[in-house]
Amino acid sequence: MAVASLVAIVDDDESVRESLPDLLRECGFDVQAFTSAEEFLASDSVEQTRALLLDIAMPRMSGPELQQELTRRGHKIPVVFITANGDETLRPRMLAEGAVECLHKPFSEAALLRALNAALRVG
Amino acid sequence: MEASLASVVDELSRLRDQLAKEVAKRKRAEAAVLERERESRLIVDRIPGLVATLTPAGEVEGVNNQVIEYCGRTLEELKRWGTSDTVHPEDLRRVTEVITQSMASGDPYEIEERIRRFDEVYRWFQVRGLPLRDSNGRIVRWYVLLTDIDDRKRAEAQLAGEKRLLEMVASSCPLSEVLTALCNFVEVTSADCHCGVYLIDWSGPRFRNEAVPSLPASFNDSTDGLPVRPEIGPCGQAALLKQQVIVADLETDPLWQESAIRPLALAHGIRSHWSTPIYARDGRVLGTFAIFHREPASPTQIQQDLIAQVTHIASIAIERALSEAALKRSEAFLAEAQHLSRVGSFAWRVATNEITWSEQLYRMFEFDPQVTVTLDLIRTRVHPEDLTLLHEMIDRARSAASDFEYEHRLLMPDGSVKHLHLIAHGTKNESGEVEYIGATQDVTQRRLAEEALDKARSELAHVARVMSLGALTASIAHEVNQPLSGIITNASTCLRMLNADPPNVEGARETAKRTIRDGNRASDVVTRLRALFSKKELTLESLDLNEAAREVIALSSSELQRNRVVLQSELADDLPSIIGDRVQLQQVILNLLRNASDAMVAVDDRPRQLVVRTARDAGDRVRLTVKDAGEGFDSHTVDKFFEAFYTTKPSGMGIGLSVSRSIIESHHGRIWAEPNDGPGATFAFAIPCAVESSIDTETLRRRIRSTS
Repeated sequence: MAVASLVAIVDDDESVRESLPDLLRECGFDVQAFTSAEEFLASDSVEQTRALLLDIAMPRMSGPELQQELTRRGHKIPVVFITANGDETLRPRMLAEGAVECLHKPFSEAALLRALNAALRVG
Repeated sequence: MEASLASVVDELSRLRDQLAKEVAKRKRAEAAVLERERESRLIVDRIPGLVATLTPAGEVEGVNNQVIEYCGRTLEELKRWGTSDTVHPEDLRRVTEVITQSMASGDPYEIEERIRRFDEVYRWFQVRGLPLRDSNGRIVRWYVLLTDIDDRKRAEAQLAGEKRLLEMVASSCPLSEVLTALCNFVEVTSADCHCGVYLIDWSGPRFRNEAVPSLPASFNDSTDGLPVRPEIGPCGQAALLKQQVIVADLETDPLWQESAIRPLALAHGIRSHWSTPIYARDGRVLGTFAIFHREPASPTQIQQDLIAQVTHIASIAIERALSEAALKRSEAFLAEAQHLSRVGSFAWRVATNEITWSEQLYRMFEFDPQVTVTLDLIRTRVHPEDLTLLHEMIDRARSAASDFEYEHRLLMPDGSVKHLHLIAHGTKNESGEVEYIGATQDVTQRRLAEEALDKARSELAHVARVMSLGALTASIAHEVNQPLSGIITNASTCLRMLNADPPNVEGARETAKRTIRDGNRASDVVTRLRALFSKKELTLESLDLNEAAREVIALSSSELQRNRVVLQSELADDLPSIIGDRVQLQQVILNLLRNASDAMVAVDDRPRQLVVRTARDAGDRVRLTVKDAGEGFDSHTVDKFFEAFYTTKPSGMGIGLSVSRSIIESHHGRIWAEPNDGPGATFAFAIPCAVESSIDTETLRRRIRSTS
C-alpha cells in the first residue's frame, strides 16, 4: 500500500467526480474532488495536494489557467490533465506547458496510475 | 519808191507797236504767273498739312514748311528721297513705281506709305498726287498732298490682329498657340518690346510660362514655376493685388531692389517690366500679361489701350481652354463611368422619333456608332420573345410623358442573349413635345450571377450540412467520451472492489449501477444524434419549434459551456406548431447558437450571456431569437451577413447564414439581424404557423428540396 498522499480532482463533469475518487481510493490514494478551479483555490487542500487531476475545459477558470495561478502563488503541484476533447494536438501542448501528462477520456486504469505515479515522483 | 518806203516804214512801225504790245502783254502775263505762283506758295505753306510739288518729270520741286519740319530734312535732302530713307525701305519700290506710272500717264495717283519723321519714327501717310495743266493741257506741275493716317492704320492693324486672335480662339487653337500669337501681335504693334503670358496654378501657387516667344530660354527657364508671391516681382504683385504694376526702370526703382526678377532681368538687358493681371469673368486672376523693354519705359495711352484689349482676349482664350479641358474631362469621365457600369444613356424625341445614344449604348447593342438609331433598328436586336413588350412600352411612352422602367433581352447576331434594364424619365419641352431621357444598364452579368448564385446556394446548403456534421463530430466525441470515461473508471473500480479481500460487494454494486447510468447517458447522446442526422429523406412534418430548439441546445450545451457561454432559454409555453423540415431548422438554430458563441470569444469584461427565446409573432408566425453579448456589428454591414462567403470570423467560410437564409426562406419565413441596445447582436427568424399557413405542402416540399 502506497503512502497516503492527497490527490485532488478538479472537473465540472459529475460522473468523473463520482467515479474517479472511488477508483483512486481503492488504489490507496487520499482523494478530494472539486467542481471548479475556484472551489479548489478557496479550499484548504491546496497546501496538502501532491498531485492534481485537472479537467482542461471548464466554465469560468480553465484547467491551464488554474495551473498558471498555482504557479503564480508558488505552489509546485504536478498536474495531470484529463480531457474529453479528442484533439490530438492538445497533449504535446499541455506537456510543453509543464503538465506531467495529458489523458484523453476515456483512459484506462493503468494509464491513470502510470500518470499519477509519475506526478507523485515529480512532487 | 518813196511811197513804197513810206508804206514799209508804216508797216515796220505798226509791227513794232504790235511787238511792243505783245511784249507788254507777255510781261503782264508773266508777272501774273509769278504773282499766282507766289500766292499759291503762300497758300501751300499755310495749308495745315504736308504738301509738296513735283516737276512734270516727278522730281521734288518744292515742299511746304510742314514737310521740312516733319521730316527734319532740307529741301535739297528731300529732293533725293528716292535714294534715302525718307520713305520706308519696304514701301520705296512700290511708291517709285506708282509715281513713275502716273507721270507717264498723267493720271492722279493715291498711295499709302510710311514716311520717316525727324525722330526716325515712320508714320503712315496717305499720299495723293494731282497734275496741274496749262491751257494747252500740258502738265506743268504735280501737287502732292500727304495726310497722316498713322492712327487709323494702327487702329486697323490692331483690329485685324485682334480679329485674328479671336478667330484662333473660336477655332479652338491650342492655348499656347493663341497666346504666342497674342504676344507676337503686341510685339509687332508696340515696337521694341518682349511679351509674356504667365498662367497661375493656384494650388501652388506658381507661375507657368504659357507663352513667352521672344525672350531667351535662359530667362524663361528661371521664371517658369516661380511662386506667386509679391516679392518675386511685378507679376507676383499684380496677381496678388489684382492691379497693374508698372516698373519703368528695374535698375533704379527702389521698390524692386530685392525682387527675384531684378537680377535676372538686368542680366538679360531688360530695364522695364509692366505686368497686368488677366481676370476670369468671375474676377479670379488667371495669370499675368507682361511687357518688357530694354530701355526704361512707361506705357503710353495707346499701349495701355492695347494691353487692356489683349488681356481681355487672353482671358477669353484661357477661360475657353479651361472650360474645354473641363468639358473634355467630364465627357471622358462620363464615358468611362458608362463603360465601367455598363450603363448607356439615350434621349428619345417621341414626335420626330429622333433618338440619340451614348457611345456605350452603341457598344451594348453592337451597332456601328456612325449609324442613325431608329426604332426599327432597335427592333432588329430585341429578343423576339420581348418584341411585344417593346411595342407595349413604346405605345405607353407615346401616350403620356410618364416615367417608365422595364427589362428586356437582346438577341445578338452571334446568338448570345443580353439582359437590359431600362429606366426613362419623360418631360415635355417648351413646344409641348414629349422627350424621354433614360439610362440602359446591361444586367446580363448580374442575371447570370444570380442564376449561378442560386445554383451555388443549393450546392452550398449541401456542403454546409457536411461541414456542420464535421464540426459536430468533435462535439459528439466530447459528449460520448464523458460517459465512456465514467464507464471505464467505474468498471475498474468495480473490479478492484470485487478483487479485494474480502470483496467489497456493496461498493461494487454501486459502481456497477453508476456504470449503467453512464452507459445510458452515452446511449442518449447517440439517440439525439440519430434524431438529428439519421434521416436520409427530407420530411415535412408538423413540429414544435421549442422541442427542436431544446434538442439543439442539449447537443451544444457542452460546447457552449467550454466556451464559457451562459445560456438562458426562454421558450414560450403556448407556441403553435409549424410545418417544416426538422433537421434543416435545427441546422439553422445550431448555426445561430454557434455564431453567437463565436461572437463572444473575446468578451472578458461581462458575462458571455446567450438568450434563446421563442415567441408567437405577429401575422401568425412563430419566432426564434438568439441574443448574444458579443462584439455586435455595424448596422451598415447587416445586409451582407446573409450573403454567401461573407464572414467576420478569421476562420469562417461565411456560408452558415447564407444557407440559413435559404432554409428559412424556403419555409416562407424571414431571417434577420439587429444590433442590441447594449452590447451584442440579435439574430432571429420567423416562420408561419402550421394551421394558419396557406403554404401548399407540395410547393413547400419542392422548394425545400431545391435548397438541399
